[in-house]
Amino acid sequence: MDGLFLLLPISLLLVLGIGVAFWWAVFSGQFDDAGEAAQAILDDDDS
Amino acid sequence: MRTPNLFSPPAGISESSRRERRRMLARTGLAWLVMMQVMMLAFPGYLRHAERSAEAQQTLEQAIVLMNWSSLVLCMPLITYCAWPLWQGAWHDLGRRHVGMDVPVALGLLAAFIPSVIATWRQAGEVYFDSVSMFVAFLLGARYLELCARQAVAHLPAHGPDGTLLALADRWALRFVCVQLLLAAGVGLWWWWVQPGQAVAVTVALLVMSCPCALSMSVPAALAARRTLSLRHGRQSAAEEQFLDEAMQRVARQNLFGSLAWHGLVTPLAAVGWVQPWLAALTMLVSSLAVAANAWRLTRIRGSGAFGLVNSTG
Repeated sequence: MDGLFLLLPISLLLVLGIGVAFWWAVFSGQFDDAGEAAQAILDDDDS
Repeated sequence: MRTPNLFSPPAGISESSRRERRRMLARTGLAWLVMMQVMMLAFPGYLRHAERSAEAQQTLEQAIVLMNWSSLVLCMPLITYCAWPLWQGAWHDLGRRHVGMDVPVALGLLAAFIPSVIATWRQAGEVYFDSVSMFVAFLLGARYLELCARQAVAHLPAHGPDGTLLALADRWALRFVCVQLLLAAGVGLWWWWVQPGQAVAVTVALLVMSCPCALSMSVPAALAARRTLSLRHGRQSAAEEQFLDEAMQRVARQNLFGSLAWHGLVTPLAAVGWVQPWLAALTMLVSSLAVAANAWRLTRIRGSGAFGLVNSTG
């Protein structure tokens, strides 16, 4: 039971970190176009 | 050429549309993150009424208090940030003295969240944080898909039969929401009088059920599918256009009356207390997805050889 007092706050901090990372990724445009990366390799000009 | 993809922004999207898309995605993603955590934390609450020794019961009660506080902390950004478009929509509706879809949503959220905060503070009673977070996450998920579909077809010209169909859906949604709100108030009062312990759960389930998400998606989803077809194949002959319009209207009506029938079926079950609030939220998601899937069927019409049929007969 005592472990919960330590582990629950740690899990909340982890969730906070993941949330902030996700927020940053969305607003820096990483999810703007899900197909972009797959398309880029085809559009690559080798010449 | 790239095939049109719902999750890729359309070419030439404006900066404000792009920002709207990002904000909606951030809200939806965070709501799903919170939902998964809160569902996990809610689990001990469901074990409360099983048979066990007094000591084990006391440990469990302590754990539940801790979990409830953690859920409350997680739900604060969900209620303030993620659900912001819902509050805004409800406020806007009230300002226009019009009962739209966001009013029952806001009422359902408040009816579930405020008693949960009080129960957490007093360390007694049931909490509904899991239902609140599921409701917000599912709703935002459906809205995000709707936003993507709307942006994908925004630059295409409007269609003839669209207006009457949308008006039909609006009229039904308004009637539906009014009846459901009155029903939730009446049934809630009755339960309060007969069995106060169940009153909040039943009222929350009914309010969650009264969100006409599937209903309000029914016609726009069919219209979006129809426009996706025009986008993909360009202009068709008059006979084919008419065939597609008729198919679209059929799907729109199926969606509209199917979602009404589904709600009519589940509402009595919620009123007698057989549907828990979290189950009501899940029901809402399933009906919205069913509507979207039915509309998506329309975009595959070419593969089924329907066009060949029209050409040979006409």
